[in-house]
Amino acid sequence: MLVLSNFHLNLSHETLETIWLTMKLGFVSTFLSSLFGIPLGLLLERRDFFGKKIILRINRTLMGFPPVVVGLMVYLLLMRRGPFGELSLLFSFAAMVIAQLFIITPIVSGMVCTAAKNAAPEIRTFAISMNASRSQTFFLLIKEMKHDIYFALATSFGRSISEVGAVMIVGGNIQYKTRTMTTAISLMRNKGDYSEAITLGVVLLILSFCIQTLMDTLKRYENNGENY
Amino acid sequence: MVKIIKLEKRIESFQLDIKGLFLQDKKVHGLIGNNGSGKSTLIKLITGLMRPDKGTIDLGGIRSRDITFTTQRPYMLHDTVYHNLIYPLKIRNQMPSKYDIGKWLEQCGLTGKEQQYAPSLSSGERQKLSFARALIFKPKLVFIDETMANMDLESIRVFESIITNIQKEDPITWVIVSHQPAHIYNLCQEVHMMEAGSHLFSGTPKETGYFMRERHEKQWSY
Repeated sequence: MLVLSNFHLNLSHETLETIWLTMKLGFVSTFLSSLFGIPLGLLLERRDFFGKKIILRINRTLMGFPPVVVGLMVYLLLMRRGPFGELSLLFSFAAMVIAQLFIITPIVSGMVCTAAKNAAPEIRTFAISMNASRSQTFFLLIKEMKHDIYFALATSFGRSISEVGAVMIVGGNIQYKTRTMTTAISLMRNKGDYSEAITLGVVLLILSFCIQTLMDTLKRYENNGENY
Repeated sequence: MVKIIKLEKRIESFQLDIKGLFLQDKKVHGLIGNNGSGKSTLIKLITGLMRPDKGTIDLGGIRSRDITFTTQRPYMLHDTVYHNLIYPLKIRNQMPSKYDIGKWLEQCGLTGKEQQYAPSLSSGERQKLSFARALIFKPKLVFIDETMANMDLESIRVFESIITNIQKEDPITWVIVSHQPAHIYNLCQEVHMMEAGSHLFSGTPKETGYFMRERHEKQWSY
């Protein structure tokens, strides 16, 4: 009760910076993971190659992999004595993006692969009937599956902005540099600054609500467009 | 002439084995046979949807990009009727002419529905749109795989008149898969019969009728 009575929406410069950094991290990570995840998802649906089942299994495992472990692995890779230590990427925005790529890409590829298993054979048959080239077929698949892809990207974006463990380990929660909303909330709680923590929590909640609304809208749109 | 020689394809327990099948140019061919006789598999092999295990398919100079096919459940792009219709032209970098589009829409009874969301069309309208879409880029070899199976009489008449008009003006090669003898008799000049994965008989619709009657009598005389 004491906490709630002291709470007021406090959007300080630091808070706004934190929100902006979180959004930027979400967009950059989702965009980059889509570049790898979408083609990988389509490839896993289409091609029969040696080791495909293993790759699918690994992909599914990574979809539910604990982010803290991903953070630790990326930390070990980027630490000064690690294999990529010379790049001096640890505790930077780039390090957080790398960690998020490992977390989000399997989600994008897994969701695209599952959606493609249902939709792609029919689209591909149509493309062959029209004598579309390989690249035309690829872009047609992307266009026709756009709602499934939006859905996968919205889910990934949601995962990105709500992630705390990995970005804390590789980002270091540095003010104005690597502090995201989730790591900031964790810090505020430790400091006892509940007002700031709640403000960020509310913003995060609103963002999650917006993403959920977007996904529901996409689902509804897709159901309306089904062939009957 | 399309020549199919010593074609073999195994799909699980089904074996397609065609010693020789010839499709003369610029004619309407009917492909008949019971369910599971291999008609659709043969079409998939000719159109490149499947690869044969053995044998050759000589398209007789027809380029693969001049071949098309329609299916019983046509796929509609998540777009308008207009964009569905012009898709084959778009991927060939051809400018759709207003006259051609108007003509096809009118022939298929879709005038005024250009901006309608194509997947929301009725199944008959979708069949007609898929037919127009397959023909708008002027292919040389067209496969119609049971497209007319679930159509009303008027739609079938529209299809038949489109095929007849094309054959009068600028004939192309058609292969029509159908279970309905009326389509075969009305449209086809040559009929090819399939049974259990093999090519059983080729002839005119009349000859096919005699052949089938003879077989039927033989079967029942034992």
